[in-house]
Amino acid sequence: MAKTKIKYPNPAFFRAKDNMDWKKQGENLLEVGSIIVDMLKETDWKKFGTNRLNDIKDDGRRIAEEFKTVMAMSPEEKMDLLKNGEKHLGKLYRKGAMATVRREWRGVKDTAYDYKEWLRMWGMLLATFSKDLIPALNTTFWYRWMISYMCCVGFMDKNVMGQRGSALQMSHLMIYDIFRYVAENLVLLAKGDKKNGNSAELNKKIVLFDEMTMGQIMAGFPDLIGIPYQLMPVFLVSEIDQLTCVPYIDAVESFGLPADTCPVPSSECGALVIDALPHLGSCFISSSMPCDGSVMASSYMSRRFPDLPVFHLTFPVRYEYEETVPDAAEDIKACIRFVEETTGAKWNWDAYFTTMKRFNEETKYELEKWEVNKTPYPQILGPCYELFRKWNYEMDGGMDPRVMKTFRKVNDIMMKAYERREEPWRGKMKYRGIVWSCPAHYYANFSNWLANCWGIDILVEMESLNFTKPLETEDKELALQDLARLYERMVMRRHTNGGYHNVVDELWRQCEAWNVEIIIMYQNVACKNMATLQGILDEQARDKGYRMIWIEHDLMDPRTVSRKDMRAKVNEYMRTVMKAEPVDPTLCDFDDEACM
Amino acid sequence: MRDLKHLIFFENLLDNADNELVEKAKADGGLAIGYTCFHIPEVLLNVGQCFSVRLRAPRTGSVDIATYYMSNYTCEFARALVERGIEGGFNFLDGLAGVDACSMMNRFYEHFELLKMNEKPNMFVTHCDMPYKIEDYTVRSYVKQMKVRLLEVMQKNYGVDISDAAIRKAVEEHNEVCRIITEIGEMRKEENPVITGYEFHIICLVSYTCPKALILPYLRETLEELKKRKPDPKPWYRARVAVVGSEIDDPGLIQMIEEAGAMVVADRFCYGSFPGREVIELKDDEPALEQVCRHYMEVSECARYISDEKVQQRRDTADRLAREFHADGIIYEQMKYCDFWGFERALVSHIMSEERGWPVLSIDRLYNNKTSGQLRTRFQAFVESLEIKRIQKMGGRN
Repeated sequence: MAKTKIKYPNPAFFRAKDNMDWKKQGENLLEVGSIIVDMLKETDWKKFGTNRLNDIKDDGRRIAEEFKTVMAMSPEEKMDLLKNGEKHLGKLYRKGAMATVRREWRGVKDTAYDYKEWLRMWGMLLATFSKDLIPALNTTFWYRWMISYMCCVGFMDKNVMGQRGSALQMSHLMIYDIFRYVAENLVLLAKGDKKNGNSAELNKKIVLFDEMTMGQIMAGFPDLIGIPYQLMPVFLVSEIDQLTCVPYIDAVESFGLPADTCPVPSSECGALVIDALPHLGSCFISSSMPCDGSVMASSYMSRRFPDLPVFHLTFPVRYEYEETVPDAAEDIKACIRFVEETTGAKWNWDAYFTTMKRFNEETKYELEKWEVNKTPYPQILGPCYELFRKWNYEMDGGMDPRVMKTFRKVNDIMMKAYERREEPWRGKMKYRGIVWSCPAHYYANFSNWLANCWGIDILVEMESLNFTKPLETEDKELALQDLARLYERMVMRRHTNGGYHNVVDELWRQCEAWNVEIIIMYQNVACKNMATLQGILDEQARDKGYRMIWIEHDLMDPRTVSRKDMRAKVNEYMRTVMKAEPVDPTLCDFDDEACM
Repeated sequence: MRDLKHLIFFENLLDNADNELVEKAKADGGLAIGYTCFHIPEVLLNVGQCFSVRLRAPRTGSVDIATYYMSNYTCEFARALVERGIEGGFNFLDGLAGVDACSMMNRFYEHFELLKMNEKPNMFVTHCDMPYKIEDYTVRSYVKQMKVRLLEVMQKNYGVDISDAAIRKAVEEHNEVCRIITEIGEMRKEENPVITGYEFHIICLVSYTCPKALILPYLRETLEELKKRKPDPKPWYRARVAVVGSEIDDPGLIQMIEEAGAMVVADRFCYGSFPGREVIELKDDEPALEQVCRHYMEVSECARYISDEKVQQRRDTADRLAREFHADGIIYEQMKYCDFWGFERALVSHIMSEERGWPVLSIDRLYNNKTSGQLRTRFQAFVESLEIKRIQKMGGRN
């Protein structure tokens, strides 16, 4: 029997009939219009004009200065600038500006490549949104977070800052896949949202799950689409725009939630309080992952959307106890039954096994990346890779066949770059570093700054080091147990749950394996799982002679610890403890409080 | 009212984890098994020669060393226990029955081992896995954990009898404690009760922290005394409140509420009597361990239970207790930095007020509260608001 090729995502989802309430859209447009009018009225136009004038003057000064600098260069330096690009990236920032003053000059070849990728990204975004343009664009009139997505290309620029050659190419390939996934899901969110596209046909096919729950379970339901519910309105957008979650956090704290809780569930609940989540789907899979705060967010969800049936996927915390695995698999079975009952779809083992085979192959490629980065010539570094790894592990999970192509392409580029002993940040790489604990969302490109400013290359992050055992693709019972093992070892949970050894002893093991000199120890001020081990981590690091830089942050709230404060911790450590000089002094101190 | 005969004795018993009765039981060959969390069925720690001690850190002052290890924005209860352990306050223990239910308390158990707080040769610390919801397979898992990670460890390390008969015997003794505490607790329903919320909390706490066999004679005597105790001519309180929320083992907090004029008539918090002092009914045709585990899962009011029916149960229980004990309002409280109760308190204090019509005071608090002026002021203001509401209800007549 000939196999029919299933397109991912199913084009029928985008073709599902919308049922927009135009009267409601009109009312909303009027309301948005009145807000814009108010904003225009309240704007101090004189000050606005002065600021723009100052910007123009500043641009003029900057251009003159840059011209002078280039003219003063020797012919060799000019050639280097032409081939390898600029080296002082701090000059791209301007106090009070939301974006950099201009794009980075990377040398002729890399700038041309970067521009091509910029065009390709815009092309993909436009093509994806065109699949159902009206509800997709209409989202901007309903949700303020949608506006932040307009700056996603700027986010891409930030994440590839300073990268050249193969590293730049790999970063672009990986972030393209993430943005395609986001764009497609944004269109589906818009179509399904009862306030907006209101497509009953599509909503029957949508299974929402908590953004902290992995997506692989949906591999067995090829006729449905799983959407990590809060990923687009909360989690991912907070990496693009540092100020996105501020209104959510303020709202839920005004509601009564203590300010010391993790900003992830706080923001999710805050988004519910101010009605920033679209209302769609046929059911919701909540989970107990990764930590205590996330467990509790589901009751807020149930209260806001009482019409949405909820299944609570709960896995053992002591996941290394083998006696708990069969019960964890039972929970997956119960979840599958729940999806079948609420949607009428049937679990498809063939589809599941096909996807998991692909996921296993992707994991093999991932392990090759690790092998390369463990050598003295690491190749695949930076925020795009960090994001890609987490997204692929958590959300994609082998479901999108197009991602496989990216894996292959990236692997080819990486291996060739390794043979050529390329440097992702040319002439800047000095220290081998590892990131431990959860990074700040509002500073997703911190590892990029570390590399560009101090030459600290983050070889791997804690959140990337998860389950790498190939998943069972033959035996159904064993497959469910493996799926449970995978879920139990989701990002963050793999380390912070199941006992201190998973995060403390594991760190020393990884430091040795990756031959690390510097540990960037993030301290999310609201993460109790990590905070309760700070003394032990500190003591053992001292005993073992590791250089550990503690960097406080508040995950999604830049008001508590700003990006500048985070950088200051590194600057201070490097200058006083390491007695080091920055590779790019212009990046030591700059202002990006308002910068997205 | 006349002072209760054993109240000072009880208060003294609460001054140390290693109290007079614990020492006596140990001298008689008993094995002290410490625990903190309700998820560990107390009765399972009272089998054979073992006796349970629910851990507290009374008279906690500075928690500086624990703060170094666990940072200053984590649960003060967990930190106080770490501090007390470092000071040697838990050297008397022969075992520690820990659960991985909330991350911060779990770290207490882990620091207990990491910092070598008690290095007796057979000392054990368990880390049992706890379910989040009640399903057939989660009950099975819970039973398995109690068997493999707790009872068999007790048996292996000390040769403890963990047979079905031993569990049933422990349940019998446990049930007598529960009957007495429940009977005493019921007295709080009276309009002019013969017991205060503070006295009841003290009695309830000694029933958790002392060996059952040794505290029982005192409890029996106190019950008899209360039956004959004459109340004051007029009720002493200005309002009646139910306290709902996370762990309270600090009688000073209940005392502070009562000093503000609100009698605590229902104690729906961890280390209180709801849940914890319900009789366990055992059938003969099913293993006692399974029945005990199911009982604890069903009566648990822990905010960690995520499933919809448990979420609803918590709201219904708070509402029911407040009604049954004729409360005028509810105080929702949480230990500062407690994630589970932080989320629960914020949401449910709204639900109780807006949907069920209860006046609600919503607070977060430290482990030790006796000196908190802010908290005292909030309690006083709440009592006044309850009084005003009552006056308004009566058409302006006091």
